[in-house]
Amino acid sequence: MMSLFAQVPVSTPEIQWFYLAPILILALGGVLLITLTSVAPVMRGRHISALFTVATGVLALAFLPFIAARLDGLVDPVAGQGGRPAVDLVSSALVVDHFTLWVSGLISVAVILVAVMLDGYLEREGFESPEWYALLLISASGGVILASAEDLIVTFLGLEILSIAVYVLAALHLRRSESQEAGFKYFILGALSSAIFLYGIAMVYGATGSTTLTGVAGSMTGRNAAGLSPAVDSSLVMVGIALMLIGFGFKVSAFPLHIWTPDVYQGSPTPIVGFMTSAVKVAAFGGMMRVFLVGFGGTFASDWRVLVLFMAGFTILFGSFLAIVQTNIKRTMAFSSIAHAGFMLVGLYAAASPVAIGDTGKRAVLFYLLAYTFMSIGTFAVISIVGKKGDGNHSIEAYRGLAKREPLLAMAFTVLLFGQVGAPFTAGFFAKFRVIAAAAQVERTEAYILAGVAMLGAAVGAYLYLRVVVAMFLDVQESPSTEMADSADETLALVEVRALEVPPATLAVVLLAAVVTLVLGIFPDIGSGALAEAALALVR
Amino acid sequence: MMSSALLAIQSTNPIALTPNELWVINTFFYVIAAVGIVAALKMVTTKNVVHAALYLLVVLTVVAATYIVLGAEFAAATQVMVYIGAVMVLLLFGVMLTRAKIGDDGDLDYDSKWIGGLSAVSMFAVMGYSLWEAFGTDELPADMAVQRTGQVANSIFSQYIVPFEALSMLLLAALIGAVVVARRD
Amino acid sequence: MGGHPFLADGVDFGDVILAVVLALVALVLTLVMTMLMVWFERKVVGRLQNRIGPNVAGPFGLLQTMADGMKLLFKEDLIPAKADKVLFVLAPFLAVVPAFLTFTVVPIAGDFSNGGSGSSTLPGFLGSREFLWQVADVPIGILFFLAMSSLAVYGIVLAGYGSGSKYPLISSVRATAQAISYEAALGLSLAAVFLVSGALSTNQIVLNQVAEGYGGFNFTRWNVVTTGLIPFIVFLIAATAELNRPPFDLVEAEQELVGGFHTEYSSFRFALFFLAEFMNTVTMGGIIVTLFFGGPSGPQLLPLGAFMGFIWFFLKLMVFLFIFVWFRATLPRVRYDQLMDLGWKVLIPISLAWLLMLGGLQLVRSGDLSFVDSTSADLVIVIALGLAIGLLGYAMLNAAIRTSRSERLAEEGLKLIAPKSQDSESLAGHQTGTTQGGH
Repeated sequence: MMSLFAQVPVSTPEIQWFYLAPILILALGGVLLITLTSVAPVMRGRHISALFTVATGVLALAFLPFIAARLDGLVDPVAGQGGRPAVDLVSSALVVDHFTLWVSGLISVAVILVAVMLDGYLEREGFESPEWYALLLISASGGVILASAEDLIVTFLGLEILSIAVYVLAALHLRRSESQEAGFKYFILGALSSAIFLYGIAMVYGATGSTTLTGVAGSMTGRNAAGLSPAVDSSLVMVGIALMLIGFGFKVSAFPLHIWTPDVYQGSPTPIVGFMTSAVKVAAFGGMMRVFLVGFGGTFASDWRVLVLFMAGFTILFGSFLAIVQTNIKRTMAFSSIAHAGFMLVGLYAAASPVAIGDTGKRAVLFYLLAYTFMSIGTFAVISIVGKKGDGNHSIEAYRGLAKREPLLAMAFTVLLFGQVGAPFTAGFFAKFRVIAAAAQVERTEAYILAGVAMLGAAVGAYLYLRVVVAMFLDVQESPSTEMADSADETLALVEVRALEVPPATLAVVLLAAVVTLVLGIFPDIGSGALAEAALALVR
Repeated sequence: MMSSALLAIQSTNPIALTPNELWVINTFFYVIAAVGIVAALKMVTTKNVVHAALYLLVVLTVVAATYIVLGAEFAAATQVMVYIGAVMVLLLFGVMLTRAKIGDDGDLDYDSKWIGGLSAVSMFAVMGYSLWEAFGTDELPADMAVQRTGQVANSIFSQYIVPFEALSMLLLAALIGAVVVARRD
Repeated sequence: MGGHPFLADGVDFGDVILAVVLALVALVLTLVMTMLMVWFERKVVGRLQNRIGPNVAGPFGLLQTMADGMKLLFKEDLIPAKADKVLFVLAPFLAVVPAFLTFTVVPIAGDFSNGGSGSSTLPGFLGSREFLWQVADVPIGILFFLAMSSLAVYGIVLAGYGSGSKYPLISSVRATAQAISYEAALGLSLAAVFLVSGALSTNQIVLNQVAEGYGGFNFTRWNVVTTGLIPFIVFLIAATAELNRPPFDLVEAEQELVGGFHTEYSSFRFALFFLAEFMNTVTMGGIIVTLFFGGPSGPQLLPLGAFMGFIWFFLKLMVFLFIFVWFRATLPRVRYDQLMDLGWKVLIPISLAWLLMLGGLQLVRSGDLSFVDSTSADLVIVIALGLAIGLLGYAMLNAAIRTSRSERLAEEGLKLIAPKSQDSESLAGHQTGTTQGGH
């Protein structure tokens, strides 16, 4: 029998399932959830999907320390110059190191917290759908793939899995046309940015002849004194890097690719916005750091660093200044998230510097991601509660007198907002302090300017958060009675009057986030060992 | 002729191309490239949705033909089956179910189309320049190897197994999403 | 055809001439077969309905098709005023061309007995060239067939749209949905053949079905047996649906759609659609014979060489053409939901499960998968496992369908009892959302 398969022996790669556990648990959790709920009506009961998702997240989280232990115990780590433990998986498609673990941990935490707050939200809005959770889990698995990808093809696929699920989640509040609009906008612009990203990968592949990050990095090292590498065509690489920067810049909503953010955040279901600002941002930054620092970290770092510098500065300025004029809290928080992305980009700028400062920069970004994950999820949990049924009560006016009606919620929200301001004794302070300090350490004029811009942005940003805080502690004099008189529509007035429903689980998420914000603000060195390991893992 | 063809199916040895053959391939490429460019321009300028879809179809066919020229037969067949046979058919399906209007459609025009045009042109200039600089003088290798379907299959199920599996998750997410969004509430 | 897909081993003038001649022969052959197929169909359907069928033009009415064709050619050629003229004119050609192109990969003759490769040699004065009895043995063979069958739908779609009339449009929407749904089942059942043959080229697939000894004839080597019958059945059903033949002819359901996608067509253009339809039927029959029934292989009962292969091919083809006609005469048209259910809930799951099992069997045969010491026991275990997984999957599919149905019923019941109470609230919430939205 003449057979092609018989002649060429296929060498199937070895698969180390243990290291793949976080990805597999998250992905299979999503598949299992959607299967079980469609087969067994029992699974469609109240809270079951949320519990399942939380359990999946906890399981994925529980594996991480064991993987870390096994990584540290490796006799012969497959690592580069850094000598840090790392394992290449399945013919160098994925890599597991401490950086992967850090990002996976943050994503898993985000999944758990968002699932908890989603439960209360869906109950209030009258949805009983497992697909929200299934998409959440699938998206999270995409995030972990993105952050651990060692091959640009896998990077792209991870990015797409992460994104497509979130596009759908953004549109899932089927009764609000705004939500559908948000999903559609996000999808169209996201698809465009993905295409540009893919162009970038193609260019880099064309120039270096490799899609693996180590291969790309390897072929870029031979740059000669004239500035041109003998092996690599520099303009092609530069265009490729720039296009990939656009792709990542869109996902982290950096200037000038931030335009979609306010519209999408305003329209999307609030818990999903929490997921976008936490898991999506963490995963996108994770992928960006791995691709740019490992793949393009060599001779080309000094080139793309400048792009990141400008991006960071403008992102902070735009985010901070435009947030001031907003009257809708979700739009405000969208601009604030843009500003935060700018701060993280400042850290990335510093991370692109030579070794010692670079590590400070990486640590700063990773700490920022940790702090921002908790702060943003907590913030959007509060917004989700205040949004009331229909998820439409989002003017800053709606927060008037919150301190009187819901003192605990208001206290926690105050802590979270102060955290976002960057006030001392909150995690936000150290997050901002560390990225600015890292930028200052670069000791270049433009780096000092960037640090100055960042400080200015932080100061301006303070105004917008404090505005909300002030509104919460103000009296309720005008509203709601005047509004009721003004409004001819009785149902509208009824909605205004109805007291807030505060689901205990969501309140717990808010409190947890607030506590973590405080604890990290007072003891910023908690977990710094893991942080350092994660930062060092990117030196390869 | 055919017995050698049978052997060639099994062997993956590159077979040298004579200058004559290169000329044929180059000419073929120029022709399909010209067709593709014209179709692409017509696609964005036509005022009829269905015609735009059909011009896109021509562009995709040209891509498939380019794959053949490059010796990637499996990619070519897949391009035809997936893009032409499924994606574009579904696109036409969607157009027909919603707005199958015969003749020109004024709504297709967009006031700020010059912004799009400008960004497209500048992107083309930048990418074109860098590609030209990198590969402008390269020639088709004289010992071109054809990627047989069997090789593609082998590498998908060995070296590229992770992308392959990740892609199935991607499709699953898209599938769930499509069903959920399309379902009436 | 080695090396570069176009040119290798020095293509010379003789090769070009040979290719052209083969293409011409194939074209003439398809046209003749198509003509005969039309006659055959009318005759058999007539008999099955207790009628005589065409019997006036020529012996046994053989020339009836010719007469009809002539009549069509002389009819007035109409283009409706509201039609999209370019597409209207283009559509019939888009229907015919893929139909013919598919035929080019079907091996129609050749001597496969006693280790023959199916190739023949031209006489010395023509250059002693070896050639196969098919226009092209492309290495992607069957993928080419799939690609062409996915192109075939464009003729119908554009005819429906270009006519500028509602019934053709409905017809082409139906055609699209049907083509997309059944292409998946078609491709999956083909995958089973690939898996067993390990080749895509049609010549290779035929060669793989030829046994040593028995004069090259042993039906246990046919893919219909080696793939275990199910892929063949799935393929036959999906092929009937792809051809838009009864019982899946919703595209041209006369009672609902006047004439379907070709309502507005007349004269030569209509004749082209007619031709494409029957040509597709013949080609599909040829593909089935090639994939599952050993193509033109068979013992040399008469010392005819390659022509004996043609006789075998023709005989096998006749069986399937008869089956297609038989379907038409006996089966009532399916409903639209039945069509979709059959495609998505029956054919695709079955092909998937079967493919999984065949893959397992292949692994056992190649020694990569082993549970116990003996291979035959392993095979039994794999078959049992495959059936178990298939049944489990089937049970889960059914459970899911039942769950969703009961849920939908419950939801609709709820809506009947309490209309809109929930909606008005969410609407109010929505309004507050819009009024307070900032910029």
